[in-house]
Amino acid sequence: MNANQPLTIAVPKGRILSELRPLMRGAGLEPEAAFDDDSARQLRFATNVPGVELIRVRSFDVATFVAFGAAQIGVAGNDIIMEFDYPDLYVPLDLEIGKCRVSVAEPLELRATDDPSRWSHVRVATKYPAITRRHFAARGVHAECIKLNGAMELAPTLGLCRRIVDLVSTGKTLEANGLVEVEKIADVTSRLIVNRAAMKTRPTEIRHWIDGFGRAVQAVRHAA
Amino acid sequence: MPPADSNALLPAGLHDVLPPDADHAADVQEALRQCFRANGYERIKPPLIEFETSLLIGAGAAMERETFRLMDPVSRRMMGLRSDITVQIARIATSRLARAPRPLRISYDGDVTRVTGNNQRPERQFTQVGAELIGVESAGADVEAILLAVSALSQIGIENLCVDLSLPTLVPALMDALGMDAETQSRLSQALDRKDATQTADVAGDHAATFAALLDLCGPAEAGIDALTKVDLPAPARREADRLVEVARQVTAQAPEITLTIDPVEKRGLEYHTGVSFMILKPALRGELAGGGRYLAEPVGGGDGEPATGFTIYLDTVLRALGDPPLALRILLPAGVDVATASNLRDEGWITVPALDVDGANPEAFADEARRLGCSHALIGGSPHPVTAD
Repeated sequence: MNANQPLTIAVPKGRILSELRPLMRGAGLEPEAAFDDDSARQLRFATNVPGVELIRVRSFDVATFVAFGAAQIGVAGNDIIMEFDYPDLYVPLDLEIGKCRVSVAEPLELRATDDPSRWSHVRVATKYPAITRRHFAARGVHAECIKLNGAMELAPTLGLCRRIVDLVSTGKTLEANGLVEVEKIADVTSRLIVNRAAMKTRPTEIRHWIDGFGRAVQAVRHAA
Repeated sequence: MPPADSNALLPAGLHDVLPPDADHAADVQEALRQCFRANGYERIKPPLIEFETSLLIGAGAAMERETFRLMDPVSRRMMGLRSDITVQIARIATSRLARAPRPLRISYDGDVTRVTGNNQRPERQFTQVGAELIGVESAGADVEAILLAVSALSQIGIENLCVDLSLPTLVPALMDALGMDAETQSRLSQALDRKDATQTADVAGDHAATFAALLDLCGPAEAGIDALTKVDLPAPARREADRLVEVARQVTAQAPEITLTIDPVEKRGLEYHTGVSFMILKPALRGELAGGGRYLAEPVGGGDGEPATGFTIYLDTVLRALGDPPLALRILLPAGVDVATASNLRDEGWITVPALDVDGANPEAFADEARRLGCSHALIGGSPHPVTAD
């Protein structure tokens, strides 16, 4: 009945893609050649499976495309899932790639003198204003967020604010900028996400891809 | 931007509905109303505003954050603008209609407002058209509500309906029976809401297998109910699950054409439901066409609630599914047409539009005038002539 509707899978541009490709292959999904060409301007890609197409979008936008039903399936880090907290997303599978964490960081010298229990208000530079507000609100601290889209580490050095909330994987960028990680908010990995209505109206197709990616994740785990 | 434009700005989520959409909406609303009426449901028309003490108790408590409030300058009590009509029906059924014979079949239609929209329905004012079946506990009542919703939607021309059956009470009953503490329950609920298998397994600990099985059987009803009968559940949860199985079987038997899925862990959007619930979707259509299920109709003054089930059809989603309204037969009448001719045309089903000062002396010019005014036909030489391009 749904054979004439294409199934759209949204994947993030950038570093996750190289980790994702083996899983896609494991799940039986091979995109057309232009998909691996970073200079291609194309945004939609055909695959070896008739009726299944891929779109390559910014990682923050994957969750939005899927939540609003423009794509039925997507791959997004749980940092992005937590930030938007869309009620129309299902997160059925942990792909176990793109491992890192969302953390609070501050300048080394601040840490020595600071007493977090006395805070009522903090000013934080972040691309995760919702996660940040929720995290600090849980302990009764109001977080005033300055939304930045990159180079968070510069903010404390240049006096924009004293703390940042950002993704940390090795901690080297923080260190190079005189910052220390003071608190981990959440561990992050990439997840397979599914639009809620699509799961209910096209259950067999969606289940096929969840199971396919699930087997690919298992295979990687066993190979490791 | 010129000042006139900014004065035309409406608050977010509110719209003016223009021709021909407003007429179309009214027609569809009327067709649904007639369908409920023909099936034995009688109409009730509650007020737009009530005291919040009656609007937000019982089932209404779940709507508290979505309800606009205003102060009544007369009684100086806080009033709420209704955000859901079912709550009002429950109030009326258990008060003014407490002595009416059961089962009580009630229908309603009207606009509601919400403080915030959501992704699927950003509108803050929309129309609900619904039916409630009050005073019956049996599975037959659940089936009647589902089939009535399906047949109403089919009758107005929406096909490819998908019905998703859920059971918002199952997971809480199961977690209670397993003796889970509040913290675990809240984390597990969140994981199940997201269908997050990894997180569910982590939080559920020893009971991971049961919850994994429940997550796994979400999907097509045929396989799902089979699996659901086999999951090992404690007695209270088992009773809930058996009801879902029974309803699913009856719906499949009576309406084999619909795509039926089950999702026993779904809770979102079902805040006030107390048993088998459902939503109706259509592939590639944004938003739910209808939603409903079992709830407890509680008397405002306290006392035992009555079992009830019912559903609401969301008119905005229905109109999106139907697309552009069919072109109406609108005919432009030249100046001087006599009253009887116009009246006869209307009797034949035409919408007549008087041209006032333009007579039909020049047929070409008159056809142009008809097109300019959005008419499909013009009365030229005493008979209707089509003026649309095709």
